Amino acid sequence: MSSLLLIIIAGVLVNNLVMSQFLGICPFLGISKKTETAFGMGMAVTFVMVLASVITYLIRTYLLVPFSLEYMQTIAFILVIAVLVQTVEMVLKKVSRALYQALGVYLPLITTNCAVLGVAISNTTAVEGGYDLLQSAVNGLAGALGFTLALVAFAAIREKLAMNDLPKWMDGFPGALIAAGLMAVAFQGFAGLI
Amino acid sequence: MKKKKSMRSVFLNGIFGENPIFRMLLGMCPTLAVSTAVFQGIGMGLATTFVLVFSNLVIALLRNIIPDKVRIPAFIVVIATFVTIVDLMLKAFIPSLSQSLGIFIPLIVVNCIIFARAEAFASKNSVLLSVTDGLGMGLGFTVSITLLSACRELLGNGTLLGAQVMPETFQPMAIALRPPGGFIMLGILLLIINASSKAIVKRREAKAKEAEL
Amino acid sequence: MQKKLIVSAAPYLHNHAATTQRIMLSVVIALLPTAAAAVWFFGGNALMLIVVAVVSAVAAEYIWQKLTHKPVTVSDMSAVVTGLLLAFNLPANAPWWLAAVGSFLAIILIKQLFGGLGQNFMNPALAARAILMLSWTGLMAANVLPHAGQWAAPVALDAVSVATPLTHGATGFTLWQLFYGDVPGMIGETCKITLLLGGVFLLVFRVIDWRIPVSFIATVAVAYFIKTGTLYSMESGAQNVLYQLLSGGLIIGAVFMATDYVTSPITGIGKLIMGVGCGVLLFVIREFSSYPEGCSFAILFMNVLTPLIDRFTGSKPFGFEKQENPAKEAKA
Repeated sequence: MSSLLLIIIAGVLVNNLVMSQFLGICPFLGISKKTETAFGMGMAVTFVMVLASVITYLIRTYLLVPFSLEYMQTIAFILVIAVLVQTVEMVLKKVSRALYQALGVYLPLITTNCAVLGVAISNTTAVEGGYDLLQSAVNGLAGALGFTLALVAFAAIREKLAMNDLPKWMDGFPGALIAAGLMAVAFQGFAGLI
Repeated sequence: MKKKKSMRSVFLNGIFGENPIFRMLLGMCPTLAVSTAVFQGIGMGLATTFVLVFSNLVIALLRNIIPDKVRIPAFIVVIATFVTIVDLMLKAFIPSLSQSLGIFIPLIVVNCIIFARAEAFASKNSVLLSVTDGLGMGLGFTVSITLLSACRELLGNGTLLGAQVMPETFQPMAIALRPPGGFIMLGILLLIINASSKAIVKRREAKAKEAEL
Repeated sequence: MQKKLIVSAAPYLHNHAATTQRIMLSVVIALLPTAAAAVWFFGGNALMLIVVAVVSAVAAEYIWQKLTHKPVTVSDMSAVVTGLLLAFNLPANAPWWLAAVGSFLAIILIKQLFGGLGQNFMNPALAARAILMLSWTGLMAANVLPHAGQWAAPVALDAVSVATPLTHGATGFTLWQLFYGDVPGMIGETCKITLLLGGVFLLVFRVIDWRIPVSFIATVAVAYFIKTGTLYSMESGAQNVLYQLLSGGLIIGAVFMATDYVTSPITGIGKLIMGVGCGVLLFVIREFSSYPEGCSFAILFMNVLTPLIDRFTGSKPFGFEKQENPAKEAKA
């Protein structure tokens, strides 16, 4: 139980995907102009990431390892994620039209969201022999929650910044990157917590 | 004649006009993550270039065969194949680089640059042009990530490619090598590039106006 | 009494240079006793750091505003406050350039790049301190013993030989020493008498609101009461509430840094959330992380969450509902 708690704290704060591992930067910079959309994206990623952690674990343990196909891991994992994203897209379309429209073009981009693949791969390398099923799922959840926290907080900051009179060459990405850097400074306080 | 010219422009486009990092802001994750040392930056740049060139080549070759509906999974398979090749080759021949780039080698698969070029260029253009595009984009990426790595290594360690450059009295600013340093340094580089390219455009416009008068 | 109005929202601030000046002036006055204490305990080097930090902060603001053709607002005194707070967060044996670099980072990178006074989303002095700490960890270690009343520059002591009050297992300091400031630490954080005096002054003149400092300190107290079960003890070392409250940067952070109008929530409930959040994070970082003290990182993290807290506590600054500039939207 305590090891699961450690995984959660590590995933959300200490090894935050965006703020200390540089995973998922594209959506972090791309979908952080509005808090609501950021939250929606965070939830979509959470859903995909937990499922992906579970499924890639199963595929690795019951397919790749028994047949010594570990070198196919990258290909297998990315295909699984692509299929998952398609499914999420279809479900969202049915369930919440508004959210679907808000996320629109970004949803297919979860496929190339390196955070999802990154978590799936780190599940296999984090400890000797990789996490077990439950640990993988929890790690996926923690990573996604950390991603959502960073994304939503960043979106709120950018909403505030949008009302400022920034120097004009700070508009857009330079300003966003420097703001993200300062945010990362705050996250550094958790270094060594685990 | 026309063809030759467009090949040149396609190549240069990747380095300047649509520079993946500084113009398109693609491939941010590996850019920020591995740019702590010049050696790593160059390594990541070249590995990505390799995958870009070959995936563009294969996708351009198959562009009329792949049905439109399954093109995305098809692209992914092609890209992932070459990434796996790079991954295994690095592990075999340059294990130290493979170790320091770590998870970001398999993650080349999800580098948006490669996917974006496959979708936007290779699936619509001839083989030769697509390879040129891959080369241009790859070099543009390599040059940019090397520039960022150089800034970070110099400030954060006082060295370039491991050789001491700064004077002995210089106290390295270690934050440049940490995650916040990556974000802030790239932000500052972008800021400088944006500001100077705006200034150049302005001057050009002013000159054009003068010429008209 | 009219000052009460000002405390409510950051967006009002930057159009009222005169009001800002009055607020900043009262903060400077509240900080002066602490500056005197810093010089008394840590000697000439502390004075040098304070002067360098304040001068470079003001110079950075002036130069930046000149270069970018903005109205020069150094007379609003906000740069002086930033410089003072930054200097207070340096150890006594820090080299002069650390103070200068810190002030430039605070004013330019953290404040002016984001639009200047009232528009930064992080406390400039604190963020600069964190950057210095992440960059030159060795130089930022607060391991200089105070030598009350002596002018000589303090000797840089071996990091291992001097335990600061928060080093694990430290017992060498009495509560009284912690209270009047005769302990190793950043130059401005050790003397709790002058800090609390300044805090009372700011509260009485309604420059700061009671909610953040009180909820911050109370949360830390509760957390340590749960952990140690002892309110105060003259003998048992660091394991009691009062010792922890008087150690490290808690008091200066709770009174002077967490209460920064620009980077803390606007509503009352938001301020309470901020204070409790800071307290919990400080406890967690102090107890479990690799840093002995977590005050600055705790406040910075809550700074990051402040815009979000403002949204959820229902206070919408003027213009919040409006769509962003469509041109900006299209660009990204």
